[in-house]
Amino acid sequence: MSKPFHEFREKEFREKELRERLLRAGVAPRHVRRYLVELADHLADLKAEEEGPGRSPDDVESAALARLGGIDDLTRAMTEQRQFQSWCVRAPWAMFGLAPLLLLAAAYFIACFYLWSGWHIFLPGADTPFGGGPHGPIYGFENIYFQAGKFYYFGAPILVGWWVMLMAARQRLKAVWPLAASVLLAFMGAAAQIHASRTAVPGGLGHIRMDFALGASVQDIYGHLFYVLVVLSLTVLPYLIWKLRKPHSLFA
Amino acid sequence: MTARETNPNFMNGVPQLLILRLLQQEEMYGYEIVQAIHNRTESVIAVGEGVVYPVLHALEREGALKSRRKTVNGRSRIYYSVTPAGSRRLANLSEAWTNLAAAIQKMLTGGQNVEAIP
Repeated sequence: MSKPFHEFREKEFREKELRERLLRAGVAPRHVRRYLVELADHLADLKAEEEGPGRSPDDVESAALARLGGIDDLTRAMTEQRQFQSWCVRAPWAMFGLAPLLLLAAAYFIACFYLWSGWHIFLPGADTPFGGGPHGPIYGFENIYFQAGKFYYFGAPILVGWWVMLMAARQRLKAVWPLAASVLLAFMGAAAQIHASRTAVPGGLGHIRMDFALGASVQDIYGHLFYVLVVLSLTVLPYLIWKLRKPHSLFA
Repeated sequence: MTARETNPNFMNGVPQLLILRLLQQEEMYGYEIVQAIHNRTESVIAVGEGVVYPVLHALEREGALKSRRKTVNGRSRIYYSVTPAGSRRLANLSEAWTNLAAAIQKMLTGGQNVEAIP
């Protein structure tokens, strides 16, 4: 039997309960938000209608909540409409497998373009933007420019990982999919290598390419595994803290 | 005041018909729609009032309704109205329900076209 809305003592708790149920049932957060806003408006109208002489605010609220419907009914009405389901639930393999890889590819494309631009602007004669050329060490704004690019390049898997975790947290998903996506991103980030050479392409435009390898030597592999651990820790830590702070653990 | 008794079968296609019919006449917001259904059906069809919103959202998503936010008396509300696709859908639904209602009526009144159960 449906639990009447008015059995929940606090309005905030009722909203929270309904929101949690809908999200856990796979309803997309934007549909949940709109539903709750319209229910709150409707409840205000019902309360205005129920108000009258001799009626206490508690009575008015109880009557209004009873007319609005039980939490089970309100949840079912929304979950029965399959088109409101989030893509995280409909196709988790796409949201946590394909989408992070595409986002990472886009982030790396931007990083390469940033590097190529800096190379042309600040090091026009150098064969490579990674130093060691005739220009020698660079200072000042040029240095800040390339350090910022490096920071972005190494941070890209973490940024995409945070996006994945945010999606999972918004949808109250179990940890399996976001963790799998984080591991994938961490290994892709560790294996990514960027190469740049002006002489590789006739005409001197400069050529930047990326490949993915976990290293040839044992030392390289250890270095990459260390990077994997760093990315995983930085990605998963905020998510774990959030989950531990939630009263209803998703691991349960 | 006690909770209104609700019709458990309300969600089986009827709300779409009633909502489209009501909104074809004028744009309304959720509370108005529920009250209009209640009044015009003389409480024969009653519903947990909050469950009307998923139906409205679904109809909007299917292109049968459109919505706009409007501020009236200092309160911002979402008003719904029927699109041309919604009008076509209303025509189809109305025809189907009219035929169904006529067939049931015929059954109940023992119409001549109803075959006897062996």
